[in-house]
Amino acid sequence: MKRLLILLFVLVSVHLSLMAQQNEAQIRQAITQAASTMKTMQCDFTQTKHLKMLNDKMTSKGRMYYQQTNRLRWEYTSPYSYTFILNDDKVLLKNAQRNDVIDVNKNKLFREIARIMMNSVVGTSLTDDKSFKSTIATNGSEWTASLLPQRKDLKQLFQKIILHFNRTNAMVKQVELIERNGDKTVIELNNIRTNEKISADMFTIR
Amino acid sequence: MQLFAQSTFLETEGGRIRYAASIEMPKAYLSGICVLLREGNVVRGSLFNEFGVTALDFTYHPENQKVKLHHVISMMDKWYIRRVLRKDLAQLMLRLQQGETTYHNERRHITYQLKVMDNG
Repeated sequence: MKRLLILLFVLVSVHLSLMAQQNEAQIRQAITQAASTMKTMQCDFTQTKHLKMLNDKMTSKGRMYYQQTNRLRWEYTSPYSYTFILNDDKVLLKNAQRNDVIDVNKNKLFREIARIMMNSVVGTSLTDDKSFKSTIATNGSEWTASLLPQRKDLKQLFQKIILHFNRTNAMVKQVELIERNGDKTVIELNNIRTNEKISADMFTIR
Repeated sequence: MQLFAQSTFLETEGGRIRYAASIEMPKAYLSGICVLLREGNVVRGSLFNEFGVTALDFTYHPENQKVKLHHVISMMDKWYIRRVLRKDLAQLMLRLQQGETTYHNERRHITYQLKVMDNG
């Protein structure tokens, strides 16, 4: 009898594990599908930086534009004015004082930040197995993907990245970037519009 | 003791002030936000870029005008960079006490600038 119960327990555990794997595979497929069909995306964002050492937080707001596959405009409007434009291998950083154009291949920090920002909001970080080890969980109306950096340069920047997906459209609605010192940045995406034409001027680097 | 002449913000326990920060070097330019918080006789500071990635966490002790670095982003975490940062940040804090917002390291040609932001 005891052996039968153990066998039953093992069978149920294996069955549940297989179901979870199958479910996770389906979620990954839905997210990949949504990302691949997303030619453009634009939205408002609210970024909250949590400072562990100061027990403080700071909120900034702005607007984001993305165009497949390698164009991103990330524009802060409040409380500071700062624009980051990624266009293939070039980045334009623009603040009230100056404009700087950077070759991402020559600047490790900006290469990683550009990749993380773009791949996180689109959701493709989830399928980047070389960069992240990921697990997915279902929480009510959302899927939560926890990404653990695998590459050294990413590990230097972040302890963990958490992506929150809307289950109804398999799109990212919130990104949490957790740093090595315990600081955390939460980016919420609002008023998301996809596959609408975006003027090429938005990504122009001069 | 009056800590910061330019603002009464940090003269009281728990006072906090935010600055738009920039560091200009001969071959690089960094910008971001610097938050300073008064806690007892110590000023705690954090410097992060516009995306929220923290470059530095430090404390400043006005009595002996020393800076202690608690966290430096890995890409800058080298002993010789830490040494320059410790000394330069101490000088910058000292300038703030005197009501100035810029410090220029003549030897290494680095300019640190802080501009008070609207505190929200």
